Amino acid sequence: MDKRKIKETVIGGLIKNNPTFVLVLGTCPTIAMTTSLAQAFAMGIATTFVLIFSNLFISLLRNLIPDKVRIPCYIVIISTFVTIVDMVMQRYMPDLYSTMRAFIALIVVNCIILARAESYASCNKPLYSMLDGVSIGLGFTGALCLIGIVREFLAGGAFAGISIPGYPAMSGVGASAFGFIVFGCLMALFNFVIQKINERKDKMKAAVLPLSEGKVEPLKEVAEK
Amino acid sequence: MTAKVKSMIQGIAVLACIALVCGLLLGAVHYLTYVDPLQLTFDRFAEDTGAAFSEMTDEDGENFDNGRIVYYALSDDGSYHAFLASGSGGWGGDIQMYVYLQGSTISKVVLGDNAETLWDTFEPDFFDQFVGLDVSSVDSFASSDVVTGATASRTIRAVAGAIDSVVRYYNANIAGGEDRG
Repeated sequence: MDKRKIKETVIGGLIKNNPTFVLVLGTCPTIAMTTSLAQAFAMGIATTFVLIFSNLFISLLRNLIPDKVRIPCYIVIISTFVTIVDMVMQRYMPDLYSTMRAFIALIVVNCIILARAESYASCNKPLYSMLDGVSIGLGFTGALCLIGIVREFLAGGAFAGISIPGYPAMSGVGASAFGFIVFGCLMALFNFVIQKINERKDKMKAAVLPLSEGKVEPLKEVAEK
Repeated sequence: MTAKVKSMIQGIAVLACIALVCGLLLGAVHYLTYVDPLQLTFDRFAEDTGAAFSEMTDEDGENFDNGRIVYYALSDDGSYHAFLASGSGGWGGDIQMYVYLQGSTISKVVLGDNAETLWDTFEPDFFDQFVGLDVSSVDSFASSDVVTGATASRTIRAVAGAIDSVVRYYNANIAGGEDRG
């Protein structure tokens, strides 16, 4: 396995191609399911499961699926794993399922999953595709959790369902409109931090590059006067 | 056979094979995760009331204008009438509610399976307003009888439909009717 490609895939999903903050995909569940940390985490994990297995299956079948019917094939595979998540959650997490039911079914049309199937899994080996599913899924989960923490804290004065004493809950902050504001602020912050890190990296590269490329002239011996 | 037809048949065959495999996979998961809804309802009745339920008095239920009674059971000691009621016309489809009566008075209402998304706009004690309602004293229950500041009219209609089903079922089959308990 190519170590460089693995590193690129992992970092790509988490930071460089973060589906929520960079690619701005899957905005519907991002706004709808981030009113609390628990819901955001559950949604992220459910999506990650679907991403991993749909990527794996699509990658395994990439040479068999004719180009003309690839989208229906992807949708059948994705919806199978969404239904599995739905059944498992209904059986083992009924309370959480009752609040998330409508949005679990909507994972089928989450553009992150179809986008990864089309742009990555359909042209990469199964192991890399699975890894891409893991990293994109974790990037999505992390972003949802971050938004969930901020929204839950501002709207309910709580963290992970535990109320913080002395902090007042602000009515109206839990609404979707405010969710967009939080989402926008965090997106700006995320991209600002990434930009600063990249600038710093570029500066360091620029300082090192002349030496590595032999652009610096070697020291010449100067005759003593 | 032309190349176009051949490619079409190939596409259909691949799609059918994938659908078949996916179907088998779903069947296996369904087999592993399936729970008898009757048993699930029994467990819920017992958990919510603390009373024992050994048999479902009415497994077939009954349909009404705005909802239906899915299951009805009388607790072993006769103290609770437990209903799994379903109200129709909600935004996300039917809303199931567990409604418990002591005598003819509603003693507890618990929200069940539903796909509504506006519950956070309702008051935290929204379902408590039904507690204390003597179902034998009314003939029906309408949306206008529901007291709330929330504006989710379709959700309110479905909730009222579930309560209305309990009222009608009780009056027709338990209070003055057949008393299947």
